[in-house]
Amino acid sequence: MTVDKELEKLSRLTPPAATPEARARALAAAMQAFDTAENNAPAAQGNAKGWRQSSIINWIWSPAMNKKFLAGSALATLLVIPAAGYLAIELTRNGLPIVDQTEIAGNLSKSEASKQPAATAGQPVAVAPQIPTGNDSLAEQSVGVAQALQDKEAPDLAKSDASQTSEFDANAALTNKPEGSAAALGAAKRSVPAAPGGAPQQQLAEPMAAIAPSPAPPAEGRVQMQLDPNRERFANAAANPIKSVATDPVSTFSADVDSASYAFVRRSLTGGAMPDPLSVRVEEMINYFPYDWPGPDNADQPFKATVTVMPTPWNHDTELMHVAIKGYDIAPATTPHANLVFLIDVSGSMDEQDKLPLLKSAFRLLVNRLKPDDTVSIVTYAGNAGTVLQPTRVAEKSKILSAIDRLEPGGSTGGAEGIEAAYDLAKQGFVKDGVNRVMLATDGDFNVGPSSDEDLKRIIEERRKDGIFLTVLGFGRGNLNDSLMQTLAQNGNGSAAYIDTLAEAQKTLVEEAGSTLFPIASDVKFQVEFNPERIAEYRLIGYETRALNREDFNNDRVDAGDIGSGHSVTAIYEITPKGSPAVMNDDLRYGAADKAPAAAADSAHHGELAFVKMRYKKPGEDKSALITTPVDDNNAVATLDVAPQDVRFSVAVAAFGQKLSHVAAVDTYSYQAIADLAAASRGTDAFGYRSDFLGLVRLADGLSQR
Amino acid sequence: MDAELIERAQGGDREAFGQLVSRHYDFVHATAWRWSGSSTDADDIAQEVCVKLGAAIRSFRGASRFRTWLYTLTLNAARDHRRKLAREEQTFRAYAAEPQPDAPAGNDDELSSELWAAVRALPERQCDAVLLVYGEGLSHSAAADVMGCSEATVSWQVHEARKRLKAVLGKEEV
Repeated sequence: MTVDKELEKLSRLTPPAATPEARARALAAAMQAFDTAENNAPAAQGNAKGWRQSSIINWIWSPAMNKKFLAGSALATLLVIPAAGYLAIELTRNGLPIVDQTEIAGNLSKSEASKQPAATAGQPVAVAPQIPTGNDSLAEQSVGVAQALQDKEAPDLAKSDASQTSEFDANAALTNKPEGSAAALGAAKRSVPAAPGGAPQQQLAEPMAAIAPSPAPPAEGRVQMQLDPNRERFANAAANPIKSVATDPVSTFSADVDSASYAFVRRSLTGGAMPDPLSVRVEEMINYFPYDWPGPDNADQPFKATVTVMPTPWNHDTELMHVAIKGYDIAPATTPHANLVFLIDVSGSMDEQDKLPLLKSAFRLLVNRLKPDDTVSIVTYAGNAGTVLQPTRVAEKSKILSAIDRLEPGGSTGGAEGIEAAYDLAKQGFVKDGVNRVMLATDGDFNVGPSSDEDLKRIIEERRKDGIFLTVLGFGRGNLNDSLMQTLAQNGNGSAAYIDTLAEAQKTLVEEAGSTLFPIASDVKFQVEFNPERIAEYRLIGYETRALNREDFNNDRVDAGDIGSGHSVTAIYEITPKGSPAVMNDDLRYGAADKAPAAAADSAHHGELAFVKMRYKKPGEDKSALITTPVDDNNAVATLDVAPQDVRFSVAVAAFGQKLSHVAAVDTYSYQAIADLAAASRGTDAFGYRSDFLGLVRLADGLSQR
Repeated sequence: MDAELIERAQGGDREAFGQLVSRHYDFVHATAWRWSGSSTDADDIAQEVCVKLGAAIRSFRGASRFRTWLYTLTLNAARDHRRKLAREEQTFRAYAAEPQPDAPAGNDDELSSELWAAVRALPERQCDAVLLVYGEGLSHSAAADVMGCSEATVSWQVHEARKRLKAVLGKEEV
């Protein structure tokens, strides 16, 4: 065996003799160790006293940690865990939809003030008196019980079972402000188990379900949001419900000139998929298109409203009230100087053909449009923010263009820091009486640093006071954080646009540069009051995320949308005339007595359908001005075909937007009908936007049939 | 002789301890050399063992033979030394020269360096067992005493080591 033989050799191995020096060293070390050990030897080990040495703290602590005494708190913890779990589930189920936070705050205080849960849901007020078993006093009584219970017994909450809460979810779908605060939802829910017998609640739910204008409750939308593999986040709320003029005669909303939603819808459809209903904001689709509304004659009155009332194409028994507002167009000669800061996201995710390269081309287009005296600076953010270009006059165009060309993607995103840096630069180059604007280009999240949506909103709100505006440009898809874009733009006195093609960049940054860059009025709010003599019900199409409280209209501290030079804003109401078979809400049994004197007082305005009010602030001013326009039969046209061409086209867009966001009212109206309506009202269509729209309608028609 | 010296050393007699260490130094050094394969390493290991001996002689109870105890001390020291070297090698791989193993002694040129490399590459316990049994010529039971395990375990370790060596060396022969 070779191995054995080989191994035998190991024994024959003669170790080399140790060197004398090493030996001497080792012996000396050994002796030293021996001596050290000897010195240590006498040290006694152990304790003569017989008990262990321990500090006084142990003497006190040990008995306190006795298991007997801990049992109580352990038990309490066990009881808390299921309660906390239940609470967590409830909170996620009723999770706050993403909406403008200022509105939440407003509603919170409001709904807390009103003790009656039904009052927080606009619609239920109208139907409550019709409930056979639930008269007013009973309702109030049950609310009283609910309040008392709520104060006393939080654990009772846990007993309300799933069926009761889901019943309430149906109610929630009806609320005209679905962003209704969690507090309001919670308060109303608590009243459910507390209501005597529970039966009146059941009946309450049914009539309300009957008048629900949209079969898509917010809960459904939320599920879609969670399933969305693209991680795109959209700000939207359930479609506005039909409101009864008798109980809710006033509709208030803020201007919205964003167009991001249309570009996103287009991108989705051309990509072969129906857009996420949450991504569709009808008002943004309508406002995407340039309309030739009659404008004001001079800058003193920054805009003019034109109202048209016409039959509704998708419902024979209702009418549309079309409110078109055109802003004053600043002549190019008088445009103020611009101080622009490009805040560009160069994070690793921007390294795609439709992101950074498109962004570079877009900004090149914009720089070519600017005047030599304007200044441009560039801040990038990726990991840490950096200033790429100090404020530079456009006269040195080549310097700016080469700075844009040098942008390279890489790193993660730190938006908050970048926004700070950009605003600092904007302040540094501040142009008095000019346009000071940060143009933020991103593909989505501001995902590094102290940057919850709330924090960013706060930063931007602070900077807004300095007179610096914000434009948010969204790029790419897959990670687009639409809700953050909306929040930033709405709170930063700015607008949001989604840029998917160079053509879109051309439209947003070049053709509409005036309106994008030069605001003529800020905090523009609309309030429409309907005459109950003529109109029974109304429904505002779109503007869900822009709804304001009625009292906010006259409150100059409430922020609202801005309108730029030459911007147009279009709002469409679907109104149901009194006596029409389409009326959804029955007359109030007890309301008639109250209304008689009101009608008498109104007699001066007898023939009017509605009264449109607009409030706006001129740039830099704190006090708002008011423009009013009464609407009467002179505004009405007999058939849709007689209505102006642009009106018809915008109605087609409104119908398309509603269909995409699954609004029930247009269920029976086909895509083909929309395409016909749009084709007939296409007009000259110099830039081809409307033909583009027609293509989208046909695409949607095809896709929806799959 | 050993027993008397140990007793006196345990009693604190420096001279007796000195004698004890110098009597066994060569044995420790030889063992250390066998395990480490380098005379400089063997010097270090042997010194380490001497220091341990000085510190621990008083706690030697004589339950095992002094030789066996020395083996244990030396093997442990050699193992520690090897680990230390491995750590240092990792740290200084870039510029530290590897300690050159001594060339096999001239009178035993039959001993192939492959065998050395193969034995040292064995798992620690198997390497110990092989060196104790073949290198030091101990019986399996004596090796078991040194290694602190049962005789059967030593036999099994040796068997495993032989299987492994056969595979390694056999491959090289082919």
